[in-house]
Amino acid sequence: MGEFKVHRIRFFDYMPSAIRAMAFSTRTERLALARADGALEIFNFSDNYFQEKVLPGHDGRAVEALCWVGPRLFSAGLNGEITEYDLENLRPRYTVDAYGGPIWTIGVNSQGTLLAVGCEDGTVKMFEVLKERIQFQRNLDRQRGRIISLSWHPSGTLIAAGMMDMIRIFDAETGRATHRLVVDRGAGASKSKEVVVWSIAFLSDYTIISSDSAGKVQIWDGLNGTLIRTHLITKWDVLALSVSQDESSLVAGTSEGTVVQFQFLSSTVDRLDKDWVRTRTFKNHSHDVRALAHTETAVVSGGMDTQLVVRPLLDKVEKNTRESAIRKVSFPHRSLVCCAKKAGVLLFQFPDHLELWRLGESDGYGKPGGSLPVKRGPEKLIQLKRKGEDHICCSALSPCGGWLAYSTVTSFRLYRLLNGSISICKVSKLPKDLRPAHQLCFSTDSSKLFASSSNSSVVVVALNEPECKYLGTLKAKYGCRQPVHLLSASENGKWLATANTDCEVHVYNLDKLKLHCTVPVYGSCPTAMAIHPTTSNLVVVHADQQIFEYSLVKKEYTEWSRRLQKQGLHSLWLERDTPITHVTFNPKNPAHIIVQDLFMFCIIDKSLPLPEAKNVLYNQMTLRSLPEPDRVLHSHGFKICKDFQHLLCVSLLEDHSLVVVERPLLDIVSQLPAPVRQKKFAT
Amino acid sequence: MQGGGRVRSRSLSVTMRRSAMTLQNNMAKNQRGEAAPSSRMTGRERQMGGFSLLLESSDDEGPEEVTFEDSKADARRSMKRALDTARREKELLKEKRRKRQELFQEQKKRKLLSAEVLEEIDSTKQEQSHVKAEEEAEPEEVEGRKRNWKQNAARNLKGNYTVTTVKQSTLASSQLKAAEDFLHSRMYGPGSRRTTSNEMLSLENKMGKNKSAAVQFVKKNWACQKKAKAEKLKKTWIHMQQIPSS
Repeated sequence: MGEFKVHRIRFFDYMPSAIRAMAFSTRTERLALARADGALEIFNFSDNYFQEKVLPGHDGRAVEALCWVGPRLFSAGLNGEITEYDLENLRPRYTVDAYGGPIWTIGVNSQGTLLAVGCEDGTVKMFEVLKERIQFQRNLDRQRGRIISLSWHPSGTLIAAGMMDMIRIFDAETGRATHRLVVDRGAGASKSKEVVVWSIAFLSDYTIISSDSAGKVQIWDGLNGTLIRTHLITKWDVLALSVSQDESSLVAGTSEGTVVQFQFLSSTVDRLDKDWVRTRTFKNHSHDVRALAHTETAVVSGGMDTQLVVRPLLDKVEKNTRESAIRKVSFPHRSLVCCAKKAGVLLFQFPDHLELWRLGESDGYGKPGGSLPVKRGPEKLIQLKRKGEDHICCSALSPCGGWLAYSTVTSFRLYRLLNGSISICKVSKLPKDLRPAHQLCFSTDSSKLFASSSNSSVVVVALNEPECKYLGTLKAKYGCRQPVHLLSASENGKWLATANTDCEVHVYNLDKLKLHCTVPVYGSCPTAMAIHPTTSNLVVVHADQQIFEYSLVKKEYTEWSRRLQKQGLHSLWLERDTPITHVTFNPKNPAHIIVQDLFMFCIIDKSLPLPEAKNVLYNQMTLRSLPEPDRVLHSHGFKICKDFQHLLCVSLLEDHSLVVVERPLLDIVSQLPAPVRQKKFAT
Repeated sequence: MQGGGRVRSRSLSVTMRRSAMTLQNNMAKNQRGEAAPSSRMTGRERQMGGFSLLLESSDDEGPEEVTFEDSKADARRSMKRALDTARREKELLKEKRRKRQELFQEQKKRKLLSAEVLEEIDSTKQEQSHVKAEEEAEPEEVEGRKRNWKQNAARNLKGNYTVTTVKQSTLASSQLKAAEDFLHSRMYGPGSRRTTSNEMLSLENKMGKNKSAAVQFVKKNWACQKKAKAEKLKKTWIHMQQIPSS
């Protein structure tokens, strides 16, 4: 019998939502991503592409376009509203109705003073960007037909708008439409359908580049209103365009899933006759590419296959290094599964409901790697639908399985589970300090609930049957404004550790309800952390795959942690591209730390030597083939298991069995919407 | 004398022509094998009126004298008859239409509620529409009128039950739906040449290095309700089996 009995779970039907729009801010190196269900995600491109913040979606907020104005984020959607987001409290700050019907596109001028939106009724509306709000300024000339896309000229004097069958150029000061560029319809059957100009870009030399539903990328002269060149790149629609900052490179995304790059090059040696030439084609998606962003060194694409792909351009980065590898983000960088260790119950978080499952049981004995017969299968106990139109932001289940809490942007709900988690009743009397939270955590003895709130503070509530009592608020030092995304309570109930997106880790003493210490700030954002039950060491893992162990009692890094930092982690460990999302410990062996990321879980044995650069990191298979006495010589402290793929959660129950929640990517791909039909030879 | 003579000569030539025609007709009809053309003659007699005496007898007899007044009277009579028939038909049609309209009115009356109920509803509607109109200031008036009708979330009829609409769809949500439909029809509508994810995966499988079974080899979501029912039945059966044994 192997060391652990593993509950291998594949009934979490997590289905991500399609990517609809994205916007990259070069100043802050952040990418904002909007999904079809209205959720917004912020990725930090300078910190190993970590998904820093997630703003939950909303029914009916169909976001069509995103726009950064300095550090502020604006979105426009088909519900006719422009929304500004509060990225410190992870919620919309306010919404402004444009009164033009559904809004298809949004764009800001290069000075950052005016915001233009293209509406269904054919108007381009101008809004002034003020300090705390936006204010309607005026409408440009109303057109017959909807405005699907728009682009400002870098000088801020002209706007090019893509509509049905044509492109209009507006003078931004007078509001008059000056030129009308007629776009050809497609050939054959598509001659009867209007052509939609899905995306448009206005360059500083007055060239306009447009992409349309007939599969063409067209280059126009914006001053004279004439067509320079047409490139037919696909039989289906070209849905997205993005131009690099220096205007030398352009990428176009198609419905086939290809991203085509054009570069402004000259065909001969002299640099006088430069032209837009098609250079590379990337096929990284299986479904339509609906959003593109061209950063300085990479092309970021996303679409209906729900994956975010970052493709570094090999003429901007060094070949065969970590920077030149393609990055795919398919799953969220935070945990959606909560495991009640004492009760053997799992909580799955979906955007619109929560599911509570009891794990199955098995008695038998077997060989390592074999599967055991299931005596009683897993059962779905409760499916709890959310109330209201906001999607669920965070949820938690107490270790005893008796309390369930979830929070949306506007409301907070706590439930009591009885009779072995079968019946559920809502706790109605909640203290009013308990406002909607970004992260929730129950204490190990299920007596307290911790909810993170604004300004990196945490509200502590005592759980009692008829009414919950507010115990206090743990406040961080003055000036912390970023939201807390990680909460971890110690098993003895004495410590609570919090981490926020500003890379600050605070530890509070729960007996006195005061700040105990602050871990020295490390440049990368923490992705997972936990407090050891016996030694009270805080283990923090960061987005750049570094691991630190901090002793809370002595308020300094432990000796093992210093040794690890001195030797450095193995290069293969540092090259992994998915962050660690869960840290837990083994009650039977205090020297073990169990960490998990998307493709592997690893048991770090602190008593064994650290792997050196020349050692093989993934050596479990080779060790198994060696005879017993030789194993001790070759083994090192990082025992990695890659048997289970696309892990969403790995947890250790009280009966020493391992719970592994998998979500195979194939299950997600088979449920995606229809891709284009491509005829391949011999099929 | 002269006029009559001329008439005579005219009628003679007419009869000559007519007798020639009838001769030809007879010959043709004999070829076709038809019956004696006596019935035809009677029809023509009716039309000709005054000339009937002439055709009853043989073809060799002299022409009959017909006065101008007679033929004028005949013409007038036939015109009057035609006008009469037209008027009669019009009246008949009018009668039919009137009867149909009455029938419809009767049916409609039967379908609508009684007058008192309508009055009651009307009074409550007036109150509610006033309140709603005050609360919301909508720029478009046409939609406002429509909205007043639809916004009656609760109508109290005689008794203790209320009638409510399930969800009030606003102008914004209908426009949102229309925009989403436009997007969906451009991307997935007719002419978009799409296939299913399953087919795409099957193609990848076929062209890949390791060929394996299709992803959706068995359609697992068939007869979900039947399966759930069978599962429940199985559980109750096992339970029943266990009760006597325990």
